[in-house]
Amino acid sequence: MYKEKLDRILPKVQKPSRYIGGELNSVQKNPDEVSMRFAFCFPDTYDIGMSHLGMKILYSLINEVPEYWCERVFMPLPDMEEKMRSNDILLYGLESLEPIKDMDFIGFTLQYELSFTNVLAMLDLAGLPVYSKDREALTPIVCAGGPCVCNAEPIADFLDLCILGEGEEVNLELMRLLEECKRENCSKHEFLVRAAQIGGIYVPSLYDIDYNPDGTIKSVTPLENAPEKVKKRIIKDFDKVYYPESFVVPFSEIVHDRAVVEVLRGCIRGCRFCQAGYLYRPFREKSIDTIERDTISLCETTGYDEVSLSSLSTSDYSEIEKLLGRLTDYTDKARVNLALPSMRIDRFSDELLNKIKSVRKSGLTFAPEAGTQRLRDVINKNITEENVLESCRIAFEGGYTAVKLYFMLGLPTETMEDMEGIKDLCDKIIDLYYTIPNRPKGKGVQISVSLSTFIPKPFTPFQFEPQPTEEEIDKRQKYLLEIINSRKVNISWSRYSFTILEAVLARGDRRLSDVIYAAWKKGCKLDGWSEYYKFDKWMEAFKECGIDPAFYANRKREYDEILPWDHMDILLSKDFFVRENKKAHEEVTTPNCREKCSGCGVNKCIGGACFE
Amino acid sequence: MNNIRVFFEKKGRAIYISHLDLYRVFQRAVKRCKLPVWETQGFNPHVYITFALPLALGVEGVCESLDTKLTEDLNPEEVKDRLNSALPHDIRVLRVGEQVYKPTEIEKSEYEINIDCDFSLLSDFFGQEHIITEKKTKKGISEIDLKPFIELIEIREGFIRMRLPSGTEFNINANLVFDAFEKQYNTEIVGMTIKRVGIYCKNGEIFA
Repeated sequence: MYKEKLDRILPKVQKPSRYIGGELNSVQKNPDEVSMRFAFCFPDTYDIGMSHLGMKILYSLINEVPEYWCERVFMPLPDMEEKMRSNDILLYGLESLEPIKDMDFIGFTLQYELSFTNVLAMLDLAGLPVYSKDREALTPIVCAGGPCVCNAEPIADFLDLCILGEGEEVNLELMRLLEECKRENCSKHEFLVRAAQIGGIYVPSLYDIDYNPDGTIKSVTPLENAPEKVKKRIIKDFDKVYYPESFVVPFSEIVHDRAVVEVLRGCIRGCRFCQAGYLYRPFREKSIDTIERDTISLCETTGYDEVSLSSLSTSDYSEIEKLLGRLTDYTDKARVNLALPSMRIDRFSDELLNKIKSVRKSGLTFAPEAGTQRLRDVINKNITEENVLESCRIAFEGGYTAVKLYFMLGLPTETMEDMEGIKDLCDKIIDLYYTIPNRPKGKGVQISVSLSTFIPKPFTPFQFEPQPTEEEIDKRQKYLLEIINSRKVNISWSRYSFTILEAVLARGDRRLSDVIYAAWKKGCKLDGWSEYYKFDKWMEAFKECGIDPAFYANRKREYDEILPWDHMDILLSKDFFVRENKKAHEEVTTPNCREKCSGCGVNKCIGGACFE
Repeated sequence: MNNIRVFFEKKGRAIYISHLDLYRVFQRAVKRCKLPVWETQGFNPHVYITFALPLALGVEGVCESLDTKLTEDLNPEEVKDRLNSALPHDIRVLRVGEQVYKPTEIEKSEYEINIDCDFSLLSDFFGQEHIITEKKTKKGISEIDLKPFIELIEIREGFIRMRLPSGTEFNINANLVFDAFEKQYNTEIVGMTIKRVGIYCKNGEIFA
């Protein structure tokens, strides 16, 4: 245990409380009394990782088993890393303060592509070889889950196995298997072969990939009885699924410092750029009773004064008004704020606004994503200009004076006309504001326009699309800055150097593992942080490995091309994505799942229709 | 209205909780154990808790205290037990009592230091006529002679007991003394734990 060594270095690092554990509700067990130890790694800093809901769920779930112990592990910032290295401290779990290399599982949750180098950095800090093939012992097994493992190919060479889909059941199945294999003195290879038979487990080393001369994939061959397609795991009875009664409460302030209650999984919308909207299907809700129970329990065990409802689109909850009524009965009495992120623009009623307003009056954020109706139809963002303006009107009448609008640049079929659409929409919102009779005196309206760059993702109808090049994006940004000259509009945009790397890694194949290794060796890590991101080093790494980023980012894929993630089955058919892609180019929308089933295929796994 | 002083210890992993974060720890604990604490009135009400004397980051404390106000009469033992049921493991309430002295009457803190370093250098250091170092103040960095402020009670191989000025007017952080030592001799202290063991008032009494 590193407590003494840590006492020597912690006074000399920034915000030391994030490196020592001991928070309220963190779980202590006796190492001699547990049979399986799981190091749950979030490949980014404590402040970010501690805000992540999935980790909270799986941490508590594993720790419910008396003989299993799950600990939290995060990426230290450079000042801490340097002190750890010079004092021979290997990466440790925050609960036991013991090295994770001695634990049974090292599990990463991969939430975004720019955290991939952190996986290597953390394995290295743990004192382990980063390549899977160089770790010969049965334990620790290095695994990964989270949305990015729907295409884990770019980091496949570093991982022993991946967990596809929801982890609440399969994690424990996997731990039981390893327990058995440890008892039987199995080799790591034997364990992996057996693990591949568990639904949702993907063992990259059990798949041979062949390439065509043009660089595309020729074939994927499973070995040793591994399934041809790895099927995503889902929880069928979502209302009964495990949910923590308490959260670990950090000492220092983190990004989302509050209780979080999950209300639904999946999304009925089918926005064609949105990976989460497809990945987390089928749509499932918790009952009002369950949500109320979780809310009360979490508030009471943590002492938080804010609770937020979490989902991809909370306003799509079928009985949202009734739910909010029930919850505010409790939160008003307990003097807890109820936060409602992820509300859809077209469901923004006066009543909902009042519910939010009674909590906190900050700015409002809408995501029209595209400037014209034509382009919104292409991306299937089923909202109209009237929806946006009506929501703004309600907001302004309610006393709001600031609105934030999200748009994406570089969407398929986009032209300069769509840029003008963004300007027109801003102008209309400004005009609208000055028609409101009871607008705050002496206060102008402020519109923040936030421009991100479209990144085509696997398992979306746009998985076949090229990402526009830097020049094309640049042209559009410049044009927008030229035509929007109102001082009431603030424009901010994302840097292309971040988005191109994300685009490459998102749709990459296994040959990128060596690029990631080379980039990490050159000092790339914490790539999501602008102060640490080294784009030039990444480009050097691509060059040295003889790999052209444009092949992955800016190339259009044919519908019949074997995609690196085709052997993952997220329960939605490729035909569906092809159909949706064609409809996008025909500018035809698809109604939401509640209105009409679009035949994505996910209903087969739940044995019937998603909606009665 | 019931003004009380809560004495607690801050040890183990909790020594790295900053002063600002410590307020939140207690605020949440009060909420968890539903202690009837008076809330400040105004636009943004919050539970009323003030700390007598901040404790430096990384320093253990066994006589820390905070003042608060209850809206009902409660038995001190009950306040203690309820808070302890809601606090993180390494923060323990030891005693709940009356507010005998005002925090402004605090003058000194007593520290016990376990230290692993070259003892001859250390005795040399404390034996000097002046100990000049830099101290950060609100106005910037200024030079200060620590020597007249260090009240050595006991010094032997690996152990020091001393008092330093504390309070609302003038404060010397124990870490400052050892930073000065490291700087002067260009050496590094291998291991050190600092524990605040006593807080004294201007009249010489223990702060109660």
